[in-house]
Formats: sequence, C-alpha cells, structure tokens
Amino acid sequence: MSTTSRPRRRGAPGRLVSAGVIHAALLVAAVVTLFPLIWMFTTAFTPNELTFRRNLGLLPSQPTFANFVAAFQIQPVAHWLMNSLIVSVAIAAGKMLVAIPAAFAFAHFRFRFRDWLFAVIVGTMTIPYVVTLIPTYIAVVKLDLYNTLAGVIVPSIAFCGFAIFFLRQSFKIVPTELLEAAVIDGAGPLRALVSIVIPNSLPAIASLTVLSFLSAWNLYLWPHLILNDSEMKTLSIGLKLFATNQEQLQQWGPLMATAVLGLLPALTIFAFAQRYIMDAFVHSGIK
Amino acid sequence: MFALQGRYAAWLFIAPAMIAVTVFIYLPMVLNVGVSFYDWNVLRNEFSWKGVENYLSTLDNIDFRSAAVNTAIYLAVLVPAQMLIPLVLAFLMLRVRNRFAVRTYRGIYFIPTIVSFSIAGVVWLWMFNPIVGFLNTLLESMGFAGHRWLSDPDMALWCVAAVSFWKGFGLNLILYAAALVNIPREVIEAAELDGAGAWTRARRIEVPMISPTLFFTAVTTVLIVMDEIVGVVDVLTEGGPYNSSSNLVYFLYERAFRQFNFGEAAAVATLIIAIVAFATWLQFRAFERYVHYQ
Repeated sequence: MSTTSRPRRRGAPGRLVSAGVIHAALLVAAVVTLFPLIWMFTTAFTPNELTFRRNLGLLPSQPTFANFVAAFQIQPVAHWLMNSLIVSVAIAAGKMLVAIPAAFAFAHFRFRFRDWLFAVIVGTMTIPYVVTLIPTYIAVVKLDLYNTLAGVIVPSIAFCGFAIFFLRQSFKIVPTELLEAAVIDGAGPLRALVSIVIPNSLPAIASLTVLSFLSAWNLYLWPHLILNDSEMKTLSIGLKLFATNQEQLQQWGPLMATAVLGLLPALTIFAFAQRYIMDAFVHSGIK
Repeated sequence: MFALQGRYAAWLFIAPAMIAVTVFIYLPMVLNVGVSFYDWNVLRNEFSWKGVENYLSTLDNIDFRSAAVNTAIYLAVLVPAQMLIPLVLAFLMLRVRNRFAVRTYRGIYFIPTIVSFSIAGVVWLWMFNPIVGFLNTLLESMGFAGHRWLSDPDMALWCVAAVSFWKGFGLNLILYAAALVNIPREVIEAAELDGAGAWTRARRIEVPMISPTLFFTAVTTVLIVMDEIVGVVDVLTEGGPYNSSSNLVYFLYERAFRQFNFGEAAAVATLIIAIVAFATWLQFRAFERYVHYQ
C-alpha cells in the first residue's frame, strides 16, 4: 500500500487516500458476504407468486408472512425446529460435561501419561470424521438407535477435542495460588473445579458452549444418515428434503422462510455471544 | 499439585473424554480398516473376506477417479484461497482505526461460518437458479448472457467451490485478525523506527510472527475442505452433473448409503485418512523451518 520510505503516523494526512481504499475493499467484501442472506430474507417475505417475476429489488413490494405459514403446512417444520433444538442442546451440554473436567485435569494436575493422553485427545482434531462413519452407523443400527435423536447425539459428543484443547488453555490462566488456597481450606478437586475454575473461566466456557451449540445446529452428514422419517429430521437436513421436493412445486418463498427460521436462532445467539467468541479467539492462543 | 487425592481425581476427570474418543473415534477408525477388507452388503446381510479387492476395484472405478481429481482441485483452489484472502482482509482490518467499524466487519465476515451447510446450500441454490435466480437476472439486466451454473458440468465444481469459500473464509479471518492484534506493539514500533514500510513489515515481521496460526489454519483448512464440502455438494448438485462436482467424501456417501457397498466405502474412507495424514505430514515438513513460536 504505502510506498513512502519514511514511516508515517497512523491517521496522518498521507494515509487518507489509502484509508479510503481500505474501507472500500472491506465494504465490498462485506456486501458480497451478506448479500445472499439478505436476498434470502427478501424472498422469504415476498409472496411466492412474485418470486417468479425476475426482480432485483431488495425490499419486497408486498411484504407478507404467508411463506412462513405455508412452510409449516408443506413440511413438518415445527418438528424440525424442535429436533434441532433438542439435538443441539444435548450435544453442547454433553460436550461441556465431558470437556470441562478433562480440561481441568490436563491444566492443573500432574499424572502419568498426562501429555501423551492429551495428545490422544487433541489428535482427534486431525482425524476426518468420515472414517468413523461406517462402523458408527452400523453400531447405531444394531443398537436400535437408527432414526432416533439419541443416535445423532451420543456419537457427536465424542468430537470434543477442540473443546478440551481450548478450555485447557483458559483454565491454565486461573492462578495456581487460588487453587492451592482452596485446597488448604479443605476443598477437594471437584469443589476446586466448581467453585474456583468454572467461575473464573465463564467467558471461555460460554463461548465454547455457543460454538458447540452452533456446530450441532449445523450438523449435516451424520443426522442425514441416521434420521429417516421426515418428522424425525433436524432443520438442517429437513431443508435438503424440502429443497429436493420443492423443485417440482416451485416453493421458493416457503423454502427461504424455512431457511430464515433455521438461521435466526444461530444468528441471535451469535449476536449476543459475539463479543465472548471473538475474545475467546483472541486469547485462545491457537498456535 | 493437589497431592495424592488429586491423582485419582485426574483419572476420573479425564475418563469420560478418554472413553468417548476411544469408543466413537479411534475404535471406529480401526474397525473401518477392518471393514474395508470385507464384502459387506448390509441389505442382504452378506459378509465375506475380500482382501485388498475393495481397494483395487475402488481405484479402478471411473467415478472414484473423477471424485479424486475433483478433490485435488478443491484442495488446490480452496486451501490457498481460504488462507490468502482472509489474510489480506485481516491486514486491511488492522489498518482501520475505528473500533466499531472493525467489530462490524469482523462480525459480518464471520456470519457465513455460523450458517449451516444446508442453509448456505438452499440460499445459493436460489441465487444460482437459471430461470429466476438473482445472478442470471442481474447478468441479463446488464446485457450479459445468463449461465446454467449448477447444471453446467464445466461450472458446477466452481459454484460449489465458491459457496464453500463463502461459507469458510470467516473462521480463518477471525483467527488471523486475533493473531495480528496479539503481536506485541514494541515489535511493530521498532520496525517502524527502522523505517520499514507496511509491505516490508507485513512480510518480514507480521506474517512470520503469526506463522503458528497460519500453520494451524493450513492443517484445519485441509480437513474442512476434505470433510465438510460434502454438505454443500449434497444440497447444490448431489455431485452432478455427471459427477463433475463430486468429491471423495460424497463418493463414499453414495457407495455406502445409496449402493450399500460398505466394504468399498470403508476402503474409500481409509484412502481419505491416508491422504489427509500425508497432507498433514507435508505441512509439518513445510512449516517446520518456517514456523516461529514466540
């Protein structure tokens, strides 16, 4: 950008031009990023008949909720939303239950094989999940968990390597003196975890819970394999079913309305937790 | 720490995680290799030893070959794109003084990351629709010819790649932005005092200082491109037309869950893990000399 040989202070007049260029570039990138989602909202609120008039207007001329009503009639969208909610909450909670104690042990205890076992856990982050697909699928079928939410939830909890890696990093920041003081006061390890470590790491735990929830909300291939009946599907895979069925029906309005319903929970949670999530990334020390 | 009682506690604390990853990740991985040596037709419940035949027939399969070539293209295009473009954007964001603007940009770029593959898929299905979709409407209103996009065998793969990029670049961007912000100010100021311009500073100081993050994202991006594009492929094109946008994971999915040939599908999975392991090893080698840990 600047070809000057002498360093300039940020904000000095010589920077004004390039500052404008930078903003323009970032703005274009932001518009391109957001546009498809804005278009989704536009279509969702446009009467379905009008979606076939080739239109470039961003605001629907006759805004309507009819597509949302229609979506619930065409497909079991209410079931999908409920199933998604159950699956996501259960996976996020399960991951936290498994990851928090493990991260605590790896952060603040000394025991045999500790580093080796930690490597075993973190190593799962480098394994493509497709290699577990077939045996796990067979096991789920044999255990009669096919077409059940439990069949989706239980195996997914095991993908907690990132959570443990990430939480260990933030648990380490909790001062050892605090823990030692608690132990001297007679606290056992569990008390130390619950009353010292967790309260001192709430932002990290919150952001990780949110990330786990979002990744579960967005799960695709695994629920696609396990959930068969259309009423058992999660929203994520229900949308695929909807998209396949609608090609003859041409229901773009209701389809986009369903996509909006799927996006809104994720977007809302992200809006509230954005600060924590971004801070968590800044402090995660991913190296 | 935590003396004697602590030792028991540590084992109890890690037990659930150890059991979970063993039962649901490592054990299936080993079993997968086992299954790949058998002929296993689930529908007919037939089960017989096949040796390496699954591998041979897979390598011979023309659909597998095109899926493998496509996977190579996806990797060659998407891994550099998902690292370079977010890196440039992160550098640009670093020069923006207004903190509100920085936060807004960051939030916007991250949004596609939290959009599910199927939502991304149906939204772009609608954008790409050749008759009434936005892209063709826009092109034709400007006097250009519209495209067939997803139903054009020469274009489908690039559409899938574009949507995957759109969905994936935000995560790396956040990581780069965070790493750049974490560079100690003194280092940058010292360079400025020495008269280093923005380009020199970026090349000689900032990029080397965030090389651990670059390494981390190089490894994870390969995994994401291998693993997760399948959602986009399934919703947008189902691998078509004529397998032109299929990839290895989609091929595996079809082999296992459409044709119920679990043996061959398991062989494909084993090949996938071999490819990923090889790519990761290459990256370790490539970054070994280069990564700078503070």
